[in-house]
Amino acid sequence: MTGTIVDKEKKKVLIVNTNSGGHAVIGFYFAKELLGAGHEVTILTVGEESSDKMKKPPFNRFSEIVSAGGRTVWGDPAEVGKVVGGVAFDVVLDNNGKDLDAVRPVIDWAKSSGAKQFLFISSAGIYKPTDELPHVEGDVVKADAGHVGVEKYIAEVFGVWAVFRPQYMIGSGNNKDCEEWFFDRIVRDRPVPIPGSGMQLTNISHVRDLSSMLTLAVEKPDAACCNIFNCVSDRAVTLDGMAKLCAQAAGRPVNIVHYDPKAVGIDAKKAFPFRNMHFYAEPRAAKDILGWRCATNLPEDLKERFDEYVKIGRDKKQCSLR
Amino acid sequence: MGGTRFIGIFLSRLLVKEGHQVTLFTRGKAPITQQLPGESDKDFADFSSKILHLKGDRKDFEFVKSSLSAEGFEVVYDINGREADEVEPILDALPKLEQYIYCSSAGVYLKSDLLPHFEIDAVDPKSRHKGKLETESLLVSKGVNWTSLRPVYIYGPLNYNPVEEWFFHRLKAGRPIPIPNSGLQITQLGHVKDLARAFVLVLGNEKASKQVFNISGDKYITFDGLAKACAKAGGFPEPEIIHYNPKEFDFGKKKAFPFRDQHFFASIDKAKSVLGWKPEFDLVEGLADSYNLDFGRGTFRKEADFSTDDMILGKSLVLA
Repeated sequence: MTGTIVDKEKKKVLIVNTNSGGHAVIGFYFAKELLGAGHEVTILTVGEESSDKMKKPPFNRFSEIVSAGGRTVWGDPAEVGKVVGGVAFDVVLDNNGKDLDAVRPVIDWAKSSGAKQFLFISSAGIYKPTDELPHVEGDVVKADAGHVGVEKYIAEVFGVWAVFRPQYMIGSGNNKDCEEWFFDRIVRDRPVPIPGSGMQLTNISHVRDLSSMLTLAVEKPDAACCNIFNCVSDRAVTLDGMAKLCAQAAGRPVNIVHYDPKAVGIDAKKAFPFRNMHFYAEPRAAKDILGWRCATNLPEDLKERFDEYVKIGRDKKQCSLR
Repeated sequence: MGGTRFIGIFLSRLLVKEGHQVTLFTRGKAPITQQLPGESDKDFADFSSKILHLKGDRKDFEFVKSSLSAEGFEVVYDINGREADEVEPILDALPKLEQYIYCSSAGVYLKSDLLPHFEIDAVDPKSRHKGKLETESLLVSKGVNWTSLRPVYIYGPLNYNPVEEWFFHRLKAGRPIPIPNSGLQITQLGHVKDLARAFVLVLGNEKASKQVFNISGDKYITFDGLAKACAKAGGFPEPEIIHYNPKEFDFGKKKAFPFRDQHFFASIDKAKSVLGWKPEFDLVEGLADSYNLDFGRGTFRKEADFSTDDMILGKSLVLA
């Protein structure tokens, strides 16, 4: 069932990218991978080039996209046609909007300007929580989730499309802390407070895996067509497990402290970077349909991440830890 | 080897239906054939007339060697083998053996923070199931064409391991279900009929040659979720679940809960993509099949024993 027809044609790809948050780094890796494969890439970042948000990674590394031959522009996605200067594209990826209001202008413009394939970064967070894991493509989603409305509209309006539902990711250039939250505490010999039992499963992927899945969809548009893909690694890790792996990567001991957020009066959503429940999707569709392979190796990847963490001096930085 | 207790009962029927000549090597402690609940008289008669029996103790290596070489089997399904030394006489007896198909266990995997277990993962030479590992290694070293299936927790009608039965006893008695710690531990059940189908699919299958496959259900389930699924399957109201800290109790030799107190699940992606196999039962359907054909008819293997439950509930009452 793996799509074997790879489209060798070079494509003109537009990435509409968010200017902040956990998904921002996806566009950065995807742009570089496409450029490396010889495609033409424009990345439209929401907002203004001069904004403070652009001083953070991955935006402060956009010169890498430019030097690889890509084009970087800034603006309002609602006026995407104008922002890209009236240019048309073969493939459009929206890695920005979380609801139909934000994405519809991009979808409508992509269709009217003749784009052949529309890709959307949704979220595995839309799956309805259940006792049975993992979340698999086709499982029930929360009807009122913003992303769901977008997914439905894309399917109605576009001929060739694919939707990607990621979870958490690590990787150089990440805009939002993930493993750093653990490193911050481990290097300062502070306890790592984890809500609940620490047994909650989550899925943490290296962003290059997400990028490779997107690239496969561009190169196998017919196989990818009209499918939803969980855009995640193929292994779960427990919250405790993640803390231990971070400590191993740092070569230091870890002191995990479990707490009951309700009893302590803490909003776990703010105090802790992961959901306080099992949240685990598997990339079954990508493996079956695209022949995608997972390359995330959390123990090894975290060593690399820790080396960079130290290199940029974050281990010495003043840190406010609860 | 085996075939009269659980997996083999279903597997042997599928093989006979496919037209193979099937011999069951057992001590004869269990009846060679028993009519399954839901099995028609005609089907049972047909099966009984074709199945063959070789009576013996597989621990009697000399007898195994002589009796098997006299028969000259082409394929061996080893459903009840536990130790590597049990396999040697079989291989010695059948030098022209086309395939040795072994029922191993996902229990061989080394405990990990990264799950699910894949077939390529590290195994634990010290695990309770090291006999299975040693058997797999022996098969590899002997150069025979082997296939090994690693199930997780098997369930279904006639299950002799009190997996679903444990929950059904409590649900029937209207008792709360005591689950250790958070109840978030994730496990995985695979229906015996789906496992039997996998065993048939690997027979004479080049793609299965010298390969290991995890075989279980398509989805994993939390302990709490499993209690609820059993209730749903048996038409019981949603159960009361009591969580407890097992360290606060001394249960002696008794098991207070039928699952290992950890996450334990394996990916079945390899079997799906290489063999084209996939489980037909989802969890609630499968548990209903087990309930309707077994416990729900008043049959079970082990009598209910609520002594550990009472210890837990007694303490909870005191604390409450």
